[in-house]
Amino acid sequence: MNIAMIITIILILIVTYLLCGLLFAIPFVIKGVNRIDETAHGGSIGFRIIIIPGVMVFWPLLLKKWMKK
Amino acid sequence: MGVSYLAVGWNRQKKIYDWFIFAFCVLYLSTFIAITAISNPDYTFETALIRSTATLAILLLHVILSIGPLTRINKKFLPLLYNRRHLGVTMFTIALIHGSFSILQFHALGNVNPFVSLFTANTQYNSVSKFPFQALGFFALVIFFLMAITSHDFWLHTLSPKIWKTLHLFVYLAYFLVIMHVMLGVVQYETNPVLFVMVLAGAAALITLHLVAGTREVRKDNQLFKLKSEGFVYVCESRDVPDNCAKIFCIDKERIALFRFEDKLYAIHNVCKHQGGPLGEGQIIDGCITCPWHGYQYLPQNGQSPLPFKEKVNTYHVKVAGSQVWLNPQPLPEGTERPGAAIIIPDNQIIENVK
Repeated sequence: MNIAMIITIILILIVTYLLCGLLFAIPFVIKGVNRIDETAHGGSIGFRIIIIPGVMVFWPLLLKKWMKK
Repeated sequence: MGVSYLAVGWNRQKKIYDWFIFAFCVLYLSTFIAITAISNPDYTFETALIRSTATLAILLLHVILSIGPLTRINKKFLPLLYNRRHLGVTMFTIALIHGSFSILQFHALGNVNPFVSLFTANTQYNSVSKFPFQALGFFALVIFFLMAITSHDFWLHTLSPKIWKTLHLFVYLAYFLVIMHVMLGVVQYETNPVLFVMVLAGAAALITLHLVAGTREVRKDNQLFKLKSEGFVYVCESRDVPDNCAKIFCIDKERIALFRFEDKLYAIHNVCKHQGGPLGEGQIIDGCITCPWHGYQYLPQNGQSPLPFKEKVNTYHVKVAGSQVWLNPQPLPEGTERPGAAIIIPDNQIIENVK
């Protein structure tokens, strides 16, 4: 396996992970965020949009927190 | 500090600050591109943009990393600290433009995926003069990206202040990667030593600033408090504590901020609950101790944030004997109410004030 193939596989894994995060982000910013952080109640739309990139990266952690609540 | 989250916590001062940053960036980029167009007409617009955003991002990164030690050396720099996160996100945006255009220009024109090309176009990792420096810039950009996307307070609460702070300390690794990215790039493409010297001078200035600020901190922390009585230690004279400000004492490895407010002395734990900011380096504004980092506030008499906020810090007993201030380093539970120790003002000072 050459270096280009390894990098391609890593890229595919990263993109898949981020796409899963994007899918998760939609219900999370609408509902989940209010469950895991009470300060998010009444949070603006701008706030919900601005956290989406972070949700895409940290979604397993957020999913775990949401499940616990 | 807010009851519910907003996208950006703007106030008048922060708006002015952001407009200033925006105007500076636009002015810098347009001047750089104009000078490049005049002095090097062969360069394309993309090349000028890549170079201008690179130098601007490095300049902003140096400013960002200087703010912390500068505020420890001189409190006049505190307004810069209040808005450091906005400057950080701006720097990331500029670096992202630089990275995107670099990948477009150097890696997107072939039939290989640009990201694969970034790591495979040059694989001479064992050579200094031909090292694939672009990969270093890419990893630095990844760190800046993680910092930018977690810059909102929501992430501070969600990840916990300790993890958040650790993540953001990776800025120093990113800085090292940026310096190596520039140095190794300069070796390969530049004949003019000006950029090389500027980056070296910037790194030397940053290291010096951090050393000076760090030495001061260590000296403060190592101060010995020998006079002890019934659990209290003598810390200073009452006149040493400036009005509406504090002096910080490190006793038994705990930093305690001693504030003077309306001629009474109050002691609270020095560490802000928000992001670990040094409360004792802040001031009392509108009757509240205000953290110099992001403006979180606490009441001096009980260490509690004014309602509806819920943050609390430890408080400590203080007593004044004559002109001497004595402090009990045993922390009281967070948010414990206790009276301030009234400062005994000498008669001659009262007469002086009346005059």
